[in-house]
Amino acid sequence: MTLKTLSFSLVTALTVIIIILLCLYLSKHWQQPKYPVVIAVSKTPLSTPFYVAKAINAFDDTCVNVEFDEVVGGQRAFAKVLNGEVDFGTSSDSLIAFKSLEGQPFVTHAMFVQSDNDVKFISRASANFESALDLKGQRIGVTKGTASEYFLSTLLALEGLTTEDVRVYYYEPEQLVNGFIAQDIDAFIPWEPFGFYSDQLLSGIIKIHDTKSLNTLSFNLISPTANNLVVEKAKCVIQGLDLAIDYITSHPLESKAIVMNELNISTEFIEWVWPDYIFKLGLNQSLIHSVESQANWAVATQMSQYDNVPHIERFIDSRAMLQIIPNAVNIPQ
Amino acid sequence: MNISLLQRIAFFTLGCFVLFSLLIGSVIWSSQEIKAAFTRENYAQQLTNQTNMLRQLINNNNIYDKNYSIYNKRNKVDDWQALQVKLSSLLESAPALTTHQQSIQSSLVSQNNNLRNFFTLINKNKLKNANVAIKTHLKARLMTQLESIRADSFQLSAIAEKDIYDTIKQQAFFIILVSSASIIALILGAFSLTYIVRKSLNEVKSAFEKNESGDFQHIELSHHSQEFDNIVDAFNTMNDKLSESTISLTEMKKIVEERTQVLEKLSKTDALTKVANRRALFERANIEFSRTLRGNQQLTLLLLDCDLFKNINDDYGHVFGDELLVHICNICQQEIRDIDFLARYGGEEFIIVLPNCDLNGGIETAHRIQRSLAKNCLTIGDKEVKATLSIGVSMFNQRHKSLEQLIHDTDQAMYQAKRNGRNRVEVHSYTSLH
Repeated sequence: MTLKTLSFSLVTALTVIIIILLCLYLSKHWQQPKYPVVIAVSKTPLSTPFYVAKAINAFDDTCVNVEFDEVVGGQRAFAKVLNGEVDFGTSSDSLIAFKSLEGQPFVTHAMFVQSDNDVKFISRASANFESALDLKGQRIGVTKGTASEYFLSTLLALEGLTTEDVRVYYYEPEQLVNGFIAQDIDAFIPWEPFGFYSDQLLSGIIKIHDTKSLNTLSFNLISPTANNLVVEKAKCVIQGLDLAIDYITSHPLESKAIVMNELNISTEFIEWVWPDYIFKLGLNQSLIHSVESQANWAVATQMSQYDNVPHIERFIDSRAMLQIIPNAVNIPQ
Repeated sequence: MNISLLQRIAFFTLGCFVLFSLLIGSVIWSSQEIKAAFTRENYAQQLTNQTNMLRQLINNNNIYDKNYSIYNKRNKVDDWQALQVKLSSLLESAPALTTHQQSIQSSLVSQNNNLRNFFTLINKNKLKNANVAIKTHLKARLMTQLESIRADSFQLSAIAEKDIYDTIKQQAFFIILVSSASIIALILGAFSLTYIVRKSLNEVKSAFEKNESGDFQHIELSHHSQEFDNIVDAFNTMNDKLSESTISLTEMKKIVEERTQVLEKLSKTDALTKVANRRALFERANIEFSRTLRGNQQLTLLLLDCDLFKNINDDYGHVFGDELLVHICNICQQEIRDIDFLARYGGEEFIIVLPNCDLNGGIETAHRIQRSLAKNCLTIGDKEVKATLSIGVSMFNQRHKSLEQLIHDTDQAMYQAKRNGRNRVEVHSYTSLH
């Protein structure tokens, strides 16, 4: 074999390798079909992964063209999902628990954020409430069928009380503080950003109790009961969220700036809530337990008109997550 | 660029050293990575175990019992406080984690704080005012919290396992890649070195061979290297000097051959007439005689003698006599065939060997020569000098045992012509035609 033959063989081998790599690259970046997807996103910093994903174009390399339908409160997002107005929505685990009791045709694809301090118990400072026992007979404002109502019942339960022992007043989330200002209620249980607004508005008048460990709220991606196409779309949405969450972990300052800009919120507010947030994608047994225990509690305390708690697994669809981050899925198949 | 072979070998060795260092470095790096991933995996496993122990404790113990204490006086290893402290300190002693794992670690720390706070809250007054439903529910909340920690630990472990798998895969790919590159570089390097040395040696060897035959040429190397360039420079200088002072063997051979040819020609040629001499005659005539003997072919000889040549010499001088002999030779050469052979037999006698020619052919040739001579007389001044030839003809037959006998018969025939009045053609043993 001469030097020429050897060089020729080497060049041929290199060319073949380059062609193979090129084919692999092209097949990887082959334009997938793009599905238009509308997501009802709750206007809260809990939806940070969605805003970041949009800002860093994380959905560009996936099979979906995402459009956001921004709504106030998970209830409205849920309603839009069930009405078929949107393809996906964001929802808290509490809402999932209440809606599962109604037997609505929906599924949860993934949990993307947790906060252990989103729902807060705020009372009039002058009332000097020290423990849940002090709430007996008091007027408490909550939002019906949400984490707010569940939180109240848990708070009372610690002292063996139920909602029967207090006077519960139902408000829309943004109206809670108005009820308080109007002296219609003595305490109220808002979620963010209303906890922060209340603090800003009524500083010195109110007392925000340390209830950090009492409630863990998670935000989840939901859709109507999924067929294969919906799972495919969910998979692509989760892909985008995964990229966004990695970005949030490595670029927290930039991520905060994105959310502040999207929601038009102050630095004070983002700094108020951010330490309570844990951004991670998952679909595990604890979500099922959490939803189940909240549903059981709702039935037991007659918060809901339904008597039976369905199998929560019915409302969990792990197919999309299993394709993207299988090690973050820990539920019975 | 002129690189020495030594430099080439040095570069080659250095290249191999770099590649192998890269390989060893990557193996060390990946073993560190795998070790770190195993540490993380081990950490995650410990977390899972610890969480499971706490789950068991919550499941087995009646945490609402009024006598229940988070401190177990009899068995300090198994109480809630001990397990919780162990879990917390385990979380604090987390090894270096990847970005993805760090977010899970934050989740774990937060979940653990919640677990601790929540347990403290429900244990504070043992829920003495609560009914069974509340107790069950809050215990379920506690379990959910633990389940959440377990799921995170599980995910942490799964990521570590995936890291180990990915690192091994990546390392295997890298080792294969670097090894392939090393092997290709080794083969290519060794081959190119061998090729250059062999090619240069062949070029030098071929130059030596040429020198042997006296061809002092310059060596032009196809591949330059300092070592061979030095040899070639010395060789070329030597060849320049040699070619200046030495006649090549080829040239010498050529000269000798030329001279030999000239000498040979001279030794077989008659100095005056430039036709073959007696020696050449016998050589050629013997060959023809042998061929005639072998092939049963015909062979005829003519013996020509210039009539009264002595008188011509006396009358016109020896120079003219010599001219006449040359003239006769020219006439003969014109009249004979290409295969015929003319030679000076001696004095004014010539023999013509006629292969493949019968007696009549010989007689015809003899007459043709006589006629041509008669037609082309030599002149001296204005005077034409008529010269004639007496020609004896003899053809080979069974009686002739040797060339000499044939020549003898021809000679007899020539004398017969002389005797019969000159300027005649006579055939041996036959009656004269004229």
